Amino acid sequence: MDSALHRKGAEYIDPMTRYAITHVTTYSYTEPVSLCQNVAHLFIRPSAHQRAESSELVIAPEPAFLEVRPDYFGNPTHFFTIQEPHRELKVTARHRVTVLPSLPPADNNPWEGVRDRLPRHTAPAWLDAYQFTFDSRYATTEPRYAAYAAESFTPNRPIIDAAAELVARIHREFVYDPRATTVSTPVSEVFEKRRGVCQDFAHFLLACLRSLGLAARYVSGYLSTLPPPGRPRVVGADATHAWVSLFCGDAGWVDFDPTNDQIPTDRHVLLAWGRDYEDVSPLKGVILGGGQHTVTVSVDVRAETSPG
Amino acid sequence: MPGEVTNPASGGRQPPGPGTSPLTRAARPELSAPLMPYRQLLPSADAHAPRVEPRPGYDEATEPGGTPRPHWVKLFDSLKQLGPTELARRWREAKDLIRANGVTYNVYGDPHGIARPWQLDPIPLVITSADAAILERGLVQRARLLELLLADLYGPQRLLAEGLLPPELVFPNPGFLRAMHGVSVPAGRYLHLYGANLGRGNDGQWRVIGDRTQAPSGAGYALENRIVMTRTLPEAFRECRVQRLARFFQSFKETLRDLAPRNKDNPRIVLLTPGPYNETYFEHAYLARYLGYTLAEGGDLTVRDNRVFLKVLGGLQPVDVIFRRLDDDFCDPLELRPDSFLGVPGLVNCVRRGTVTVANALGTGVIETPAMLAFLPKLCRSLLGEDLLLDSAPTWWCGDPISLRYVVDHFDELVLKPVFPASRMEPEFPAELPAERRAELLAKLKARPRDFVAQGRMELSSTPVMNDGQLVRRKLVVRSYLAADTGGGFAFMPGGMTRVSATSDALVVSMQCGGGSKDTWVLADAAVSEFSLLPAGGLRVPITRSGGDLPSRAADNLFWLGRYVERAEGLTRLLRGIVVRIGERSGIGDSPELPALLFALKTQADAQATGPDAVDDPFARVLPAVFDLENRNSLASVVRSVRHVASVVRDLISLDMWRVVTMLGDWANEPADRDGGTPTPAEVLDVLNRNVITLVAFGGLAAESMTRGEGWRFLDMGRKLERAVHTINLLRATLVTPAPQEGPVLDAVLEIIDSRMTYRRRYLSSLRAEAVLDLVVEDETNPRSLAAQLADLADDVDHLPRSSESGRSPEQRFALAALGSVRFAEPEKLAMVDNSTRPALKELLDHVGNWMPVLSDAITQQYLSHLQVSRHLATPEPLRRTGAETVGDGL
Repeated sequence: MDSALHRKGAEYIDPMTRYAITHVTTYSYTEPVSLCQNVAHLFIRPSAHQRAESSELVIAPEPAFLEVRPDYFGNPTHFFTIQEPHRELKVTARHRVTVLPSLPPADNNPWEGVRDRLPRHTAPAWLDAYQFTFDSRYATTEPRYAAYAAESFTPNRPIIDAAAELVARIHREFVYDPRATTVSTPVSEVFEKRRGVCQDFAHFLLACLRSLGLAARYVSGYLSTLPPPGRPRVVGADATHAWVSLFCGDAGWVDFDPTNDQIPTDRHVLLAWGRDYEDVSPLKGVILGGGQHTVTVSVDVRAETSPG
Repeated sequence: MPGEVTNPASGGRQPPGPGTSPLTRAARPELSAPLMPYRQLLPSADAHAPRVEPRPGYDEATEPGGTPRPHWVKLFDSLKQLGPTELARRWREAKDLIRANGVTYNVYGDPHGIARPWQLDPIPLVITSADAAILERGLVQRARLLELLLADLYGPQRLLAEGLLPPELVFPNPGFLRAMHGVSVPAGRYLHLYGANLGRGNDGQWRVIGDRTQAPSGAGYALENRIVMTRTLPEAFRECRVQRLARFFQSFKETLRDLAPRNKDNPRIVLLTPGPYNETYFEHAYLARYLGYTLAEGGDLTVRDNRVFLKVLGGLQPVDVIFRRLDDDFCDPLELRPDSFLGVPGLVNCVRRGTVTVANALGTGVIETPAMLAFLPKLCRSLLGEDLLLDSAPTWWCGDPISLRYVVDHFDELVLKPVFPASRMEPEFPAELPAERRAELLAKLKARPRDFVAQGRMELSSTPVMNDGQLVRRKLVVRSYLAADTGGGFAFMPGGMTRVSATSDALVVSMQCGGGSKDTWVLADAAVSEFSLLPAGGLRVPITRSGGDLPSRAADNLFWLGRYVERAEGLTRLLRGIVVRIGERSGIGDSPELPALLFALKTQADAQATGPDAVDDPFARVLPAVFDLENRNSLASVVRSVRHVASVVRDLISLDMWRVVTMLGDWANEPADRDGGTPTPAEVLDVLNRNVITLVAFGGLAAESMTRGEGWRFLDMGRKLERAVHTINLLRATLVTPAPQEGPVLDAVLEIIDSRMTYRRRYLSSLRAEAVLDLVVEDETNPRSLAAQLADLADDVDHLPRSSESGRSPEQRFALAALGSVRFAEPEKLAMVDNSTRPALKELLDHVGNWMPVLSDAITQQYLSHLQVSRHLATPEPLRRTGAETVGDGL
């Protein structure tokens, strides 16, 4: 699904990086599908660090109905319905995105302060963050996750330092193994097997942070991968990616990528955030008919050299 | 949440009384003072009638001194006048009526399966108009408050920002539907039907124990209870001047009509049910019929062009309003809970775009958390600027540190409930728990206090309940209802669903826990309005002959009802033919036709009647074919299927047809070895004879009492198709390979096909194969012949809805092909024997037999194909199915 970076983010950082992203999802059916209703989170969410210069969603066959509007979490969301019988559905998202490198915030206070203020603080930013402290379907809290996290979240430790160490431990102790899990694997199994993919690591990190009483959200997006040294880039070999954003109090939200042991800077492109995968899965749908079906996904994230 | 919690009698648990166990009837304790009041109220059939009843605080019927309260006097006078014998007689009739009407309540995990008779007590609960007025004012204020609360939670969430409501009750609440945030509902109405559970404390004050805001159940049972009671106690009902319920439902209907986004004059309204496995399915069907709505399951509805449509035989019909009995999160697998397909994919977006009105509004379940009760007084002052008129049961949300301290300190005086009903934790009574479990519970509470709500253990009032001809005390909870009216306010139901505890010391009052129900009589100050929603009430009805559109699923079920009924009849007639021969004669030598009949039975019922050796004890082979529920082709299994399918379409068949189905099943649920002994052939014959008559009654009702609409066509096609198959199988097994002595076999075939009388009239006693085959295969004037079935099928198929321009459809051609080959055949050729078989007969039966499944498939393809089920797309479907179970609202 996603491949680890080879080195931790010490590469040369361009002040501004442009990406051309193509994300194609194709469903093939053995029988005609007479009705297909979908919800897609396939548009770039604007943020302080990124801007979509152009975005388009091409759907074949053409939907009878298409609408885009923000969901509860403010992610651009497409609703579309195909009402003509079809044997293949192809959804192509194309984006040109400019990403600015983000700098780690200077403010880095003890984590307990954030935890203790979350339930009481009713300022909009805090109230919004508070909803991400609760259990969700894929990231349920448990005392054993809190215990696992507590090794890094020692008393009075600055929250970003503690989180960075937790992320490093997960990266060290968990094996990236696409065959170990499926989309439906519960976080408890990921914890027991110590194996999984980016989505599992993100859910496990969420479960750890929330078990401590902190607010953390699931982030869905793309990652620009570097080809192995001496090899050409392979188009379409990239993947959708998932990481975690932690609420650090007045410092705001800070992203952590447990799969790559990184604080994302400019190689991560944000699509959408929510409580877990269920809120922001790139494409979901309900079909009538269709028989057996197969799905193929291809993602290509191409860095365009910036002028200057 | 399964029920309402009560306090056990302060005197501790009492031994069960005479009503609960026959063993205690012999021992009669001294008549004790607390029982006196009830004894004076009603003369018992049993002069001694002693009974020690725990005496809780407030009794609905009697003053503390024991005299009846004034508003109960007329009822008791009327009961006295009836006398115990007459009352008992009427009550037997009422119970028969409830059973025959099929009033049921499904108790999950009940061995009786999906049809437990409704428990109704003959003594109503009587409420004064003054009490009712207090409840009305209090509940209307409460419902106004709850609607404002919902509008805020699904809008600006000012209450969270201002700290008036803890976000912990909203953000993790499974009833908070994020997809509904920012969606405006028609006329700002969220609660079209609102239910509140009420209990009366020792001080005589009513308090709200819980709010039912998403899909409150019970209003239909209240209506059914009322109909039964007015038949059982018409004199008392008249003399007490009881307020009627019809206006309440009328108001509800007007509101739904008014809120339709279009077609306000005549909107199409469906009642969305989770289906026959739901605990209150009877009520869904009952209300749909009473209110004149189409009963629909999620699979009957589909979304096209952002509108909801009902799938009917003729195509798709737009739906304007959905009155739903499905829980919030089950309503749309696309945007809400993905692991259930009970709802309608795409429904949320239709609501968002305002093309359909859903009642109650999606997302209303968020305020069903019992924790909300603790915040209502403050919210009422803030949102309405008023004091809350009607108290709630004392409630503490443990997420609040001060409340938590109180709860820990008073642990044994409280009931602990989960903050969100969906978590399925049962209410716990710390005082009743063994020390170890009590400590466990306390630790759980301290670990995650915000997950718990504590309530004071309310001392509920008691009321007399009839138990084995005697009055005993039971605790009660009343569910009251409000319906939104068209003026922005609410109408109060002068009545309600009263539930009584199963025993006098029960902790929980709940239908799920075996309690009973009562009619609720609210007395009138002035003359009672005679308004009725039932047709006699002078409602002006436009003349129509279409009778509504038949949902495709209903057509499918009627088709299968026809098939199962006919399968049962064919099998019963065959079994009877066998059992008669076993009973009449001593040995196989006397019945040369038995092997052929047992062979036919083997092909139809999987009975182990293999070859001649089976003939040694044919009766032992017959028994499992009749009674064995493990064998899905046995008569008992087929009868069970009839009952099941009939229960699913009970809103489409007449009450008489339903009663016939009920009679049909009576014996099938009894084990074959009743009283330890195997039934004798005579007993089995008796069962089979009764079965034949009942099935014939069903056929008669179908023929004489059903209009020839689409529903009847599907029922008839099912019957005729099945009868054709049965006849083909019987003839194949008996006549294709002629027996050495064929006369008795021919006679048996005539008997089983019910054509013996006709044959005798035509041919006297001369039994000839060609004459028999002419009568049972070719003769279209014989309604039991194969040709007659095929001719009827062709006629039914011709009458199905289709666009007129197109030529013959596949199902028309297949029906004609089958009919044509039978008409073409000559009886003499069919009877010809060659090499000890009848090749022409075999060929014809094989040929027509092959057409039957093809025809059945063609009908399905043409009319029932959009019964396909919806599914999620593969990769983004990360959840494992957890089954289609809903959490009930705890009636």
